[in-house]
Amino acid sequence: MKTIHSLILFFSLFAAGSVSAQQISSAELQVTGLTCSMCSQATEKSLRTLDFIETITPDLNRNIFVIEFKKDKGVNIDQIRNKVEDAGFSVGNLAAVFNFNNAKIDENGQTILGGTVYKFLNTKSRVLNGPVKANVVDRDFIAGSVFKKTAAQYKTETYAAGKGTVNGKSTRIYHLTI
Amino acid sequence: MKFFKVLTVLALMAGTVKSQELYVFSEPASNMPSKSIGVRLTSEGFFQPQFANRFIPELMVGFNKNLMVHVQGFASDMDGRYRVEGGSLYAKYRFLSMDEAQSHFRAAAFARLSSSNRPTYTEDINLEGDNSGAQAGLVFTQLLHKLALSGTLSYTKSFENTGKQQHHMPAPDQILGYSLSSGYLLLPFVYKNYNQPNFNLYFEVLGKTNPENGRSYMDLAPAVQVIINSRTRIDLGYRFEVAGNLPGRYNKNMYLARVEFNFFSVLK
Repeated sequence: MKTIHSLILFFSLFAAGSVSAQQISSAELQVTGLTCSMCSQATEKSLRTLDFIETITPDLNRNIFVIEFKKDKGVNIDQIRNKVEDAGFSVGNLAAVFNFNNAKIDENGQTILGGTVYKFLNTKSRVLNGPVKANVVDRDFIAGSVFKKTAAQYKTETYAAGKGTVNGKSTRIYHLTI
Repeated sequence: MKFFKVLTVLALMAGTVKSQELYVFSEPASNMPSKSIGVRLTSEGFFQPQFANRFIPELMVGFNKNLMVHVQGFASDMDGRYRVEGGSLYAKYRFLSMDEAQSHFRAAAFARLSSSNRPTYTEDINLEGDNSGAQAGLVFTQLLHKLALSGTLSYTKSFENTGKQQHHMPAPDQILGYSLSSGYLLLPFVYKNYNQPNFNLYFEVLGKTNPENGRSYMDLAPAVQVIINSRTRIDLGYRFEVAGNLPGRYNKNMYLARVEFNFFSVLK
């Protein structure tokens, strides 16, 4: 009886833990091309149409938006980029806090978090645990010139395309640096 | 001389303040945000020989990040009493956008189709109220650190019926247009929030040439702009001719006053 009790307790803890843990808790989004507060306001309003965003705090002088994500909704990084581009601007930099739970980064730097595939360009073969701040360095998440430089530096096949074959299926892969 | 003084002052200010692209007498290559609506009311007119003005209500819609459309109506008392003159449809498509952290270069193509019932008496063509016709053009906008410049080239063909033509006066046919624009953010020096008013200064050079005979004019057009709550824009400008030999031209020595309201991300 005691064993069953502790088992239930154990599994309920586990369940609670996996439900409340948002894979990405916050992000610092730098937008390029903003020249006035009207442009920033338009960008913020565009971002606010995303249902997984909880709060947005703008830094109008640095063109940075600090975004807190909702705990119960999956974050779609590409949609953030789309909304910035819809407003007429581009993402200059996106640094997000990823919450890893003893995630194994394989020998290619790849891991899966909440069903999304991530590939680290500058780390591999290790275990990540807890909050990790990483930059999304895919095309259109950094300046075009920086993307070219990064592509030349790392020469990873999946980087140029932003996708690759995972478990036999063509899958979106986000590339990160820490 | 005065012109170069103004240029020097603007160039000096460019080093210290942020640049702006919300030009008053021309359009930038950048578009309005996708799924957003803007409403404008423009009043333009002249004081000599007697005061007359035109009202231009305007609806602007950003369909997607690259395509936006303006619909305008025109009414003025330039032929006596206030009356509706016509309307215009303007579309702009941004086909190039190269954004870097400190600079960007954008290019867009635009087209305009206009109708006006005003009588014609000059070879000048103004598709914003005075003539019926079609226009196509290109606009390039470059932001270099804190300096923003924009250039526009256009070709306009009038579709006027001869019944509107005044006797013994020149008839409109075609015209080339060009402009060079610059804009600067004067205030605030440091942003605190969206509610702070922005104060911008603009300086534009606007020209037209009739390709058949080379008759031309060039205007200088300074303007000030206030943006309130990051969504309401107020423009006040004046264009004056510095050189020209195009008789009876439109828009000569005219003021422009405008109020614009923006509704961001309101369309589904």
